[in-house]
Amino acid sequence: MSKHLLKGLHSLQFRTKITLGMALMLIFSGLSIGLLLSAMSSRALLDEGKKRGMALSAGLAFRLAEPLLAMDFLQMKNLIDNTHHQYGDVLYIFLTDTSGNVLSHTFSGGGFPHDLLRVNRDSRRPQPLLLETERGAVYDFNVGIILGEKNLGSVRLGLSRSKMDAQIRQQRLISLVGTLGVVSLGIVLALWFARTVTLRLNRLRESAEEIVKGNLNVQVGVPLEKNCWDIMECAKLDCPAHGDTRRRCWYLAGTLCPHCRGKEYPLKIESCRHCPVFRYNFGDEIQDLAEAFDVMAVTIKNHIEELTEREKTIARQQELLKTIMNVTPDFITLQDKELTYRFASKAFCDYFNLNEDEVIGKTDFDIFSERQADLNFHEDKQILLTGHSLAKEITFKRPDGQRWFHIVKVPVADQDGGIMGLLLTARDISMLKKIQEQLIQSQKMEDLGRLAGGVAHEINTPLGIILGYTQLLMDDITDQELLENLQVVEKQAKICRKIVADLLGFSRHSQSVREAVDLNGSLREVVQLVEHAFSLKGITIIQHLDETVPPLDGNKERLKQVWLNLLNNGADAIGQDGVIVVRSRRGTGGQIEVSVADTGQGVTQGNLNKIFDPFFTTKQVGKGTGLGLSVSFGIIKEHGGTISAQSPAPVEYLAGAVPPFGLSGPGTVFLVELPPREVVY
Amino acid sequence: MIEPGRRMPQPVLILCAFLTAVLLVACGEGEKPVKVSLDKRREIAAKPPQPAITYAYLPQYSHTESFQRHQQLVEYLAEETGLSIRQVFPDTFAHHISMFGQGKIDISFSNPFVYVNLANRYGARAMARIVEEDGRAEFRGQIIARRDNEAIRSVEDCRGKSWVAVDPSSAGGYLFPLGLFVDHGLTLRDFQEVVFSGGRQENVILGVYAGLHDFGTIREGSLKVVEDKIDIGQIKVVATSRPYPGWVYAYSPRLSQEAADKIRAAMLKLDYAHDPRHRAILEAARFIGFVPSDDRDFDPIRELNRKVGLEGE
Repeated sequence: MSKHLLKGLHSLQFRTKITLGMALMLIFSGLSIGLLLSAMSSRALLDEGKKRGMALSAGLAFRLAEPLLAMDFLQMKNLIDNTHHQYGDVLYIFLTDTSGNVLSHTFSGGGFPHDLLRVNRDSRRPQPLLLETERGAVYDFNVGIILGEKNLGSVRLGLSRSKMDAQIRQQRLISLVGTLGVVSLGIVLALWFARTVTLRLNRLRESAEEIVKGNLNVQVGVPLEKNCWDIMECAKLDCPAHGDTRRRCWYLAGTLCPHCRGKEYPLKIESCRHCPVFRYNFGDEIQDLAEAFDVMAVTIKNHIEELTEREKTIARQQELLKTIMNVTPDFITLQDKELTYRFASKAFCDYFNLNEDEVIGKTDFDIFSERQADLNFHEDKQILLTGHSLAKEITFKRPDGQRWFHIVKVPVADQDGGIMGLLLTARDISMLKKIQEQLIQSQKMEDLGRLAGGVAHEINTPLGIILGYTQLLMDDITDQELLENLQVVEKQAKICRKIVADLLGFSRHSQSVREAVDLNGSLREVVQLVEHAFSLKGITIIQHLDETVPPLDGNKERLKQVWLNLLNNGADAIGQDGVIVVRSRRGTGGQIEVSVADTGQGVTQGNLNKIFDPFFTTKQVGKGTGLGLSVSFGIIKEHGGTISAQSPAPVEYLAGAVPPFGLSGPGTVFLVELPPREVVY
Repeated sequence: MIEPGRRMPQPVLILCAFLTAVLLVACGEGEKPVKVSLDKRREIAAKPPQPAITYAYLPQYSHTESFQRHQQLVEYLAEETGLSIRQVFPDTFAHHISMFGQGKIDISFSNPFVYVNLANRYGARAMARIVEEDGRAEFRGQIIARRDNEAIRSVEDCRGKSWVAVDPSSAGGYLFPLGLFVDHGLTLRDFQEVVFSGGRQENVILGVYAGLHDFGTIREGSLKVVEDKIDIGQIKVVATSRPYPGWVYAYSPRLSQEAADKIRAAMLKLDYAHDPRHRAILEAARFIGFVPSDDRDFDPIRELNRKVGLEGE
């Protein structure tokens, strides 16, 4: 029950609480004081009544001494009757001598109430004695008639309490009405006071609610009657307090009053206390609170604006950083001391086909295979322990080919110099590796050509001698069988001479005779030469020759050799029935492009970068020397051009090769790029 | 409701204590009445006093004063003689005389005029005279006036003035001064008026003090009685009479000689100088002792009576 009461009290409005509290206090104090005063005055009235009774009795006792000594019964009777009649609340008086004989009394109607002789017999006892009689409560006074030390008798006087009680009741009523009046007035004052206090507190509360809602343009403090610039009669327009009606100048920094001395709140408040502005405008604690509240609102507003601006800047920078991190193709990750990922770049996530959420907060054991994770763990721990960074290259096979990565792991130090994490960067260097390989291949080819040229040059002379002498012998020998053998020798020697000539052609670097060559013309001549022989195998040659192709600078015969090699290569790849598409056109950079595409069986990806090697062939033994493409490579290179192959051939290079000729295979296209003839003006 | 084991908050405790105290103070009259019936009545009668020797002091002062002066002496006499003695209080001198005549007074303590009267009329017999505080067994009368009354400087100046006296029977307060006036050739007709104050010396002094009368006559020593009531410096003594025998104890012829002797012996036994108890008794009675006396001591009084025309009373 007390819990409910407390809860009920707690949920009351502050104003009600103040009013209730003060009312209770007033009622309590009023009742206490009223009761106390009432009790005191009641007691005083009773005491007064008793004193009066005592005075009456004592007076009577004094006056009765004479008649008592003289035994003047008439005077005794007169005296007590006189007093009895004079005071309405005196119920009886009687006089006794020392032996207890009643000498005189005021009871009329015969007889004497002998009960009275039984009580209050000793006048030395505290007087009076309260009696309960048929006529209500009575104070019985017993006063001795004493002369010197001699007791002559005593006077007994009965004083009715009803009159005193009536007076007490009246006084209590007056006390009650008075107390109620004062308490009521107090409650009205408490109501007014509570309203005055809570009005301002409510304004504070409403303002606080506004601030919670985000409205910082609140003003709780009452507008001032006189602002500081009015009181100081100053015209310092550049003072921060000048014109600011919302904030009090003693809360503002940098005010220009002489005794402010440029101090800030709260350092300046001590000097402000003596300032006339402060003395004039400073209010009570609630006003002070309201004004401080206004200052707080304005300060918060300024701070929030600053924070918002900073937040925007940070967000911009974050966005920029994120963009950089996400755009960079390198893998960047940051792990903490427990090797949990705190950051992972987009490239990293994409590469491992993960979302950022699947990486952040995880370790390698959650992302990679256990073996890989264990490997990384030990490596990373080593870095964290030693503080030495690590750089390495790794390679692994992926469905799209061999990949190479250059990895750098760096320990990250915090402000205290301790290691707080690990930064990893990894760059895909597969392309770089490929180019490196190509460079090595080129170097190899060059070395091979030089070697082959040297060998061919040395063999060429003995071979010429062998062929010369064989032909001389043939002229001299008539034996048919011997002659046939010599013919075999001659034939094989000629084959050797051709091989040697090809090797010399592949390795020749000396500039041969150069002239303007009509590219299309050279192509047509070669096509015309082989067209018939190819048609026998069902191979069709389609020509798309761009007539705008400019002439080029070169050796026509050697170029024709290249075209012948390429066409023969295509026909060999087709075997039976197919199409070879020959095309010439101007390239984007002014280069002249020639492509020879076939519908043959194509070249495997593995062999594609070996086809220009000397003696490399996929043909059956004895079908080719493996020098055709090598020689072509040498010739094109001599002309300052490039030659490359793609397999399967993109469809654009096989335009016009429609079925039924069919596309029996993926085919190969050889692309030759040659520089146009330099025009000298 | 206060939970068990949880202490009541101190302010609440103080409040409760205060309220209790206030209520106790407010409601605690604490008087228990005694039941008494005023309607249950019966007739009562006073028991008659035991027979005793009655002792009366001539009502020169109020009864209470007389009582206070003589109560101890009466008690002493009763104790000393083994007799039952009770003081009675006549209202006036005449009453005293008549009570003596009626036998209601056995021992009378009176001035010499009253004694002469009692002796002449009822056969009273003197047994002892008192010794005044000044050590004399005689006393005098005084004529007093207001100090600022320049008209009265001598006995003769009293002629034609208003005279207040104690009582026609008063020795010091009337007869002694009257004898003095007669000696100076003044008779009662020579005064504007002669007023009696009802036997009270105090009334004479107060009457003069108040200016109601030009002069008054009192017993010597009476001024001291009123010194706590008025400024007696305002009163001057104009003249003093010759000394006459003082107050006297006489006994009624009804009283046995034996009892009278016992009482006289007890009186004469009182020793003011050496016995503190006796001293207290005598101080209360305003004298310091007794001397034996007989009727002859009062012849000068009888002489004065004749002089002022009281002879034969």
